[in-house]
Amino acid sequence: MTETTSVRTAPRAGGGHCAVEAEGLQKTYRSRSGEVEAVCGVDLRVEPGEIFGFLGPNGAGKSTTVKMLATLLTITAGTARVAGIDVAKEPDAVRRQIGVALQEAGLDPRQTGRELLVLQGRLFRLPPRAAAERAETLLELVELTDAADRRIKTYSGGMKRRLDLASALVHEPQVLFLDEPTTGLDPASRVTVWDEVRRINERGTTVFLTTQYLEEADQLCDRLAIIDGGRIVRDGTPAILKDELRGRLGVTREVTLDDVFLDATGRTRTQVAGEVQEVKA
Amino acid sequence: MTYALVLGRRALREGIRTPEAIVPTLFIPLFFLVVNVGQAARIFPGSSTAFLHGQGYGAFQLPSSMLLAASFGSAALFLVEEIEGGYFDKLRATPVSRSAIVLGRLIAEGVKALLIASLIVLLGLAFGITIASGVLGFVLLILLTAGWAVVYSGFMQVIALKTRSAAATNSAGLVFFPLLFLTPNFVPRNLLTRPMEIAATLNPVTYVMEAMRSLVLQDLHWETIGLGFLVVAVAAVLMLALSIRVIERYD
Repeated sequence: MTETTSVRTAPRAGGGHCAVEAEGLQKTYRSRSGEVEAVCGVDLRVEPGEIFGFLGPNGAGKSTTVKMLATLLTITAGTARVAGIDVAKEPDAVRRQIGVALQEAGLDPRQTGRELLVLQGRLFRLPPRAAAERAETLLELVELTDAADRRIKTYSGGMKRRLDLASALVHEPQVLFLDEPTTGLDPASRVTVWDEVRRINERGTTVFLTTQYLEEADQLCDRLAIIDGGRIVRDGTPAILKDELRGRLGVTREVTLDDVFLDATGRTRTQVAGEVQEVKA
Repeated sequence: MTYALVLGRRALREGIRTPEAIVPTLFIPLFFLVVNVGQAARIFPGSSTAFLHGQGYGAFQLPSSMLLAASFGSAALFLVEEIEGGYFDKLRATPVSRSAIVLGRLIAEGVKALLIASLIVLLGLAFGITIASGVLGFVLLILLTAGWAVVYSGFMQVIALKTRSAAATNSAGLVFFPLLFLTPNFVPRNLLTRPMEIAATLNPVTYVMEAMRSLVLQDLHWETIGLGFLVVAVAAVLMLALSIRVIERYD
């Protein structure tokens, strides 16, 4: 595991605002058995240029939070601003500034990779020729040029993830939301996606990443927050979180992000290993 | 409208690439046409049945088959697939209007219905059916069928967005059968029993079917045709408004 000790903050020119800012964010669902509080008052600040990791066990509220920030779910209470724009008041303006790649690689299996990217470009108001050129560039970026004219249903899991990533970048978003981008991928494909995420971030895009893989967070994230039961239970840089735990436990051995996660969520290794239930909020 | 057309083209491409979803749309209505004509043609011979206006019983049944074909659109099931697969969220995350997302599929369904209805009429012509109202009547007949396809796809799309379930959407689609059979499906309205006549009079599909039937069997009867188009137009506006409302509240 490689430790990330430095925090990169490279605000965009003319920015001045947080890339993502949430205060008291709440989401409540009504179900037949009553009300379910999926997110209970989350506060977040993500600076421009960061790769921000959002960790938590299954059903903790990660995806619900991302969907609220990405305008895909209504906010029950609290406020959220993305790229300085109020998510609830100006959802279309937010959509123009964000890229979204959710848990399921949201792709149309009957289109080719190229068609999907061109369509995405057109929906982000690029003229036809510009959309085609942008699609070509992105296909090169994610190394899918050779498969560009094949239908997506023939792509492997890794190729679909890379295409999904590319489709989220069509309009050069300020903030990219990635919801468990490597779930279900083999180790090689996972490393490829990590490389893509780093490359995207180096170009100035803020990345908001949810993951269940602590190694992934350690590898990629400048800062992270751990959510459990709809509440933020830890936040900071991986190094600070590990130092804090080491100090609190009074141990000299190396503390890993796994230890921080288990401490924060009150889980044991046995519980985590046996946790198979996927709760989609 | 530009984005609705862009999405409509995508939905059409999807239809073309899934011929297995289109073939039953053509086959089942033709099957019903053949079966219904086979069962009732001898009861209603063209030479002595006034309501056939000199044509065979196949001409009388043709509009039912066209309406059935127009109600078999697969747009809603593709939509459920899209919701389940996550692509629908991808579209919702773009800054296009919610109405464009709904309209795109409806435009594609309308175009598909134009082609399928034309094909059914051409097959009917090959088997001796004539369109008594001429070329203009043929165009109106096809447009009315496509209009109904848009209405019914709109209804199915609402169910798909509300339930997000292929099974529920599929089941809701069967609503068309009572709607189709509570019409003057086999004989004109004045020959139905009183309860059936009342049911048919209350059923908006009756007016669409009667307009289509008048185009096949008679010259242009603008009052009947106008009523058919009015029903389709009102139903289309209602369905579109409902679809937009549902997608805007989609959470």
